[in-house]
Amino acid sequence: MQASESQLVVDNASVSFSGFRAVSDLCLTVRAGELRCLIGPNGAGKTTALDLICGKTRLSGGAIVFKGKPIHRLSEHAIARSGIGRKFQVPSVFRALSVRDNLHIGHSKQPGVLANLTTFGQGGDTDDIERLAEMVGLEDELDTPAAHLSHGQTQWLEIALILAQDPSLILMDEPTAGMTAQETKKTAQLFNRLGGRHTLIVVEHDMGFVRDIAQTISVMHQGRLLAEGSIADIEGNQAVRDAYLGSGGIGHA
Amino acid sequence: MLARTKTEVALYAAVCVAILLVPVFLQDAFLLNKYARYLVFGMLAVSLSLSWGYGGILNLGQAMTFGIGSYCMAMLLKLKTVPVHTGADGLPDFMVWNNVTELPWFWTPFYSPLFGVLAGILLPAGVAALLGWFVFKGRVTGVYAAIITLAAMVVVQLIIIDQQAFTGGFNGITDLGQFDIAGLTFDAYGSSSYYLVAICLTVTLFLALAITKSKAGLIVQAIRDEEDRVRFFGYDVALYKIFIFSVSAAIAGLAGMLYTIVMEFASPTFLGVPLSLSVVIWVAVGGRQSLLGAMLGALIVTGVQGALSESETFLDTWTLIMGLLFVLVVLFLPQGLAGAFASLARRFERQRPTPPKKPAPHTEPVANGREVESTR
Repeated sequence: MQASESQLVVDNASVSFSGFRAVSDLCLTVRAGELRCLIGPNGAGKTTALDLICGKTRLSGGAIVFKGKPIHRLSEHAIARSGIGRKFQVPSVFRALSVRDNLHIGHSKQPGVLANLTTFGQGGDTDDIERLAEMVGLEDELDTPAAHLSHGQTQWLEIALILAQDPSLILMDEPTAGMTAQETKKTAQLFNRLGGRHTLIVVEHDMGFVRDIAQTISVMHQGRLLAEGSIADIEGNQAVRDAYLGSGGIGHA
Repeated sequence: MLARTKTEVALYAAVCVAILLVPVFLQDAFLLNKYARYLVFGMLAVSLSLSWGYGGILNLGQAMTFGIGSYCMAMLLKLKTVPVHTGADGLPDFMVWNNVTELPWFWTPFYSPLFGVLAGILLPAGVAALLGWFVFKGRVTGVYAAIITLAAMVVVQLIIIDQQAFTGGFNGITDLGQFDIAGLTFDAYGSSSYYLVAICLTVTLFLALAITKSKAGLIVQAIRDEEDRVRFFGYDVALYKIFIFSVSAAIAGLAGMLYTIVMEFASPTFLGVPLSLSVVIWVAVGGRQSLLGAMLGALIVTGVQGALSESETFLDTWTLIMGLLFVLVVLFLPQGLAGAFASLARRFERQRPTPPKKPAPHTEPVANGREVESTR
């Protein structure tokens, strides 16, 4: 486990909420440019794992090292500035603002108050904003308030916001929830294009989607890492089958 | 500049010009003084619109920073009367009555008008920044933040009332000199004071508009909508909140100073709960997400209030009528008069034969899906 090869190292991370250990002794190593899927039955601690990485929840034990530096004691905005972006399970965009303004805020290379006080209009971001809007199919909605978008479009807008932030590590929590089959397919294509430039950790229930994008899959169960490997490895793994027992099998989780 | 921004600037400019032209047609000193007072309230409403409408921080103690500003100006103007009409040793009269023998250290710098004016803006901003530091760094939001602002104001008010020897206590600071700057003297009952207030209001309004149009202003609005989302982009949310809270306080402080010039005294009631809640009502009626709306809301409500309370017919019932008006606005115009005006303008725009309607958003994903299929 060498820090030079791996961009993110989660080392024996634990957290408990009033006695309940949501994540215990979790170890994950993710290489730069990798597209990693994190799956597991309900309550396995997948979302909590993402919360720990981006600082939304504090560790009670262990460490998280990003690009060779421990980040688990930094504030959320400092973690974000170090190059970690987070998409939430419930799409979270600025509903009162236009798609264009949303993307403008996503562009957060310059986070200071004073610097932003003297920035008017889109500044130098216009091209990038239009490119991103086109990437997620929102180029005709630039001046629409985000509140008027459909659910799938809102998901895409949030994905575009994260891309505007341009972090090296992107944490996606169920990015295809509520999307139609076509939308899900389009999202898979988009993610495959992102691989290499960005490191992605994707929490997902849709196994079809996972098959389309994943290189390596990590399976969590009851707060622990249960198995890790390629799709074939995971689907043939007896421990994984047992964990999903009663929930209709891995494909229907 | 966007077309919408241009229209907005033109609208703001038109209102400001109208306000500046009032003394040309009106020479009544009493009325000018009354209107100047309303304009000060308008400025106070602009300050609350910034923190509440844009920042999402409901400040129930907006009168705190207003009052601090007004006391700074009162101290400055009080020292102008020394030693002309005061007791021994060149002390303000109320200090002599309270057996104070020496001018307190925090009064001395107010001999300098420049210090006094700067203090009237920077002290409220500083107090707000300090309060904001604890509230926003501690992630206190919503009603709890509102209650803290209200409590802080009551504390400051009680301190001022309690420290009678240095602040004049219940009576406030009265019998003031006239403010002057660069050879101009501002008589509370002359057009000069009206112009002073009107110019300050114009400058404030455009400054506040510029802030809301900057990227920082956009981020402040984003924080109002989704605080966590902004935080995970790498913005320090607390700093942005402290910033908008302090700017709002600085404007309230300036308004407080002008109020002292217009009223010719400062009183602990300027930091009172009734005034603070009135500001919330003005802003709600005018529309909290529009600076101009909030300002006009203050002018309309205080104007109607003045007219009703002075007319014989409504002498007994005017408070009831004001209450009813407020209830109606809150029930039927949640975005205030400005919101109602904006939706009317939108309806008017839609009726004109303009560009073809965009496809409804829900048809979009399917179209995208087909495009994906065909490229595969």
